Amino acid sequence: MADSPRKVPVEERLFSLVLALLATEQGLTKAEILSTVTGYAHRYADRGDRANLERQFERDKEELRDLGVPLETLDAPGADGDTKLQRYRIPPDRYQLPDDIAFSPEEYALLRLAGQVWREGSLSADARRALTKLQALGVRIDDTVIGFAPSIRTRDAAHEPLQAAIDRGQQVTFPYLKPGLDAAEQRVVSPLALVFHEGRWHLHAHDDGVDAPRTFLLRRIVGPVALTGGVASRRTDAEVTVRVLDELARVWQQTTATVRVRPGSEADVVLRNRRGTEEVEGGLLVHTTDLDILADELAAFGADVVVIAPTALRDAVLARWQRVVTAHG
Amino acid sequence: MAERAAPLGAPDKLAFLLALVPYLIDQVRVTVTEAAEHFGITPAKMRSAVTLIAMSGTPGADGTYTHETLFDIDWDDFEQRDVIRFRAAPMEERPRFSAREAAALLAGLQRVAALPAFAARVDIVELMTKLARGASDAPAALAVRPGERAGVHTTLVDAVAAGRRVRIDYVSTRGERQVRDVDPIRVEGVDDAWYLRGWCLTRDAERTFLLDRVASVEVLGAADTHTTEAPTDALFQGDADDETVVLALPATALPLLADYRGPDDPVRIDGDRAIVTLRIAHPGILGRVAARVAGAVEILEPPTARAAVLEWAQRAIAAQEAQETPSTDR
Repeated sequence: MADSPRKVPVEERLFSLVLALLATEQGLTKAEILSTVTGYAHRYADRGDRANLERQFERDKEELRDLGVPLETLDAPGADGDTKLQRYRIPPDRYQLPDDIAFSPEEYALLRLAGQVWREGSLSADARRALTKLQALGVRIDDTVIGFAPSIRTRDAAHEPLQAAIDRGQQVTFPYLKPGLDAAEQRVVSPLALVFHEGRWHLHAHDDGVDAPRTFLLRRIVGPVALTGGVASRRTDAEVTVRVLDELARVWQQTTATVRVRPGSEADVVLRNRRGTEEVEGGLLVHTTDLDILADELAAFGADVVVIAPTALRDAVLARWQRVVTAHG
Repeated sequence: MAERAAPLGAPDKLAFLLALVPYLIDQVRVTVTEAAEHFGITPAKMRSAVTLIAMSGTPGADGTYTHETLFDIDWDDFEQRDVIRFRAAPMEERPRFSAREAAALLAGLQRVAALPAFAARVDIVELMTKLARGASDAPAALAVRPGERAGVHTTLVDAVAAGRRVRIDYVSTRGERQVRDVDPIRVEGVDDAWYLRGWCLTRDAERTFLLDRVASVEVLGAADTHTTEAPTDALFQGDADDETVVLALPATALPLLADYRGPDDPVRIDGDRAIVTLRIAHPGILGRVAARVAGAVEILEPPTARAAVLEWAQRAIAAQEAQETPSTDR
């Protein structure tokens, strides 16, 4: 097979690479891999093609790591960093799913529903591959579990580059349209976590421009997310998402507004259906994580809503309507 | 699982091969049809995947592929009886999840775990722990916390499960209160918004209703079944009486109009302004669009729409100012 002139599909080359690296205990050097493994070997004889082949191998290593295959690089004794002598291997115990991990048909059905939550973008691809790997376990689907699928769109274009930057510990920059302003400003941040709270994606990051932690709404990142070329000033950790979600929940709990609505109007129905809304003397008490976002939402109801408190919200909503008048008068 | 329309890339195909090998070895002997069904692909694709695996292996000690280091299948079984049985396999490990794959499922689980249908049936914490242990690295920083749902949500989910007709008190996008009788098809969620999809007996057509706009639900008798001529995935269909308006806003704020723009609505960038043409169902939505970006949207055409938005904002200001200014902040 090694000298076959046929064109080897990418997945066959990668599959052969995994097999070769799983089977070796002491590891294989790059030259050994390129000269023997299916998909490389038939091109190895052509010396002119060698540089391309090596670049191909570098990309393939990244591809395997992205797929969660633990690819180890071992330096030769006394030759640290010498890529010619380095050996590559996949340790089976780190590659293999632990034997005691098994899923009941009900758990499997729930995992499939969890994977279907993501309808678009990189998370959908990640979830799809996770579900493919789950199929290795041969669990049969439990048809008695009735699934109705809630889904989360990740169409915010910023999601994918931010997730990649978090994974790789990179600093990024993007134009951000702060709630309440009408023009975007460029931010430079070290991204730490993506969290979904109250129907919106948030980025938690260290804002390197002001040297302080900040939380951004993804839908208000209004232009491309670009790498600055710098390394992130802070690294993420396993607890950060929990901390951010708790903090958002705390802010939401504490930030309230009192509004009066025209009975039976759309504002009345929608705000009463909003989570946490209470009837209080003089109107409805509603919760939010950000008064400027709430101001946008309330301004949209027009004359059907009157803000009682706080004054800052009343002024923010009035200012939005005033600008509409100015623009159209 | 239905066959997917989009062609899968090399990472998907590799994940499939790495999962297929341990599955086939565990099954010992399995028909092509059964294996294809399990992975949700066609029998033809399963046959070509098995052929690829059967011709793969590891380079032996001398760097060549030999019969000892290759996968070996029972070719007679495979070619004559369409049955897959391995006789030798240089690899049988089940692959771990990548950190991002595990994170995607974990975050998805946090979303579905809150559904009442599952809360009682599966130990979510145990399941999440298992998933995290099954990843090759610590799962990526990604998390989801769903909001709790209003009472109408639970009532409608129960009505779907029991096959009951419902009478809903609904406020339309035009701000009109309507009572509709609906035979529910399902409750579906997109982001944190939930919709009831059902057969509307008032309109005699399939319709979707935003749950946030449902004031109350009354459960009636058994629902009838209805057949839709053209089932659609789109939540809303445009109406013939939609009005075309042209508006301007700061170009950087354009993404904030995504909810109102159709895929074919034209947009022109003029310096730092974006000129957008939208189809609007009724003038009431115009004020909402205009107020959307901190009031920075200007309606350009038609003049009647400009006048309607001006009047809409003036009425809103008048109503607000009629309210006595509170003496204390709260």
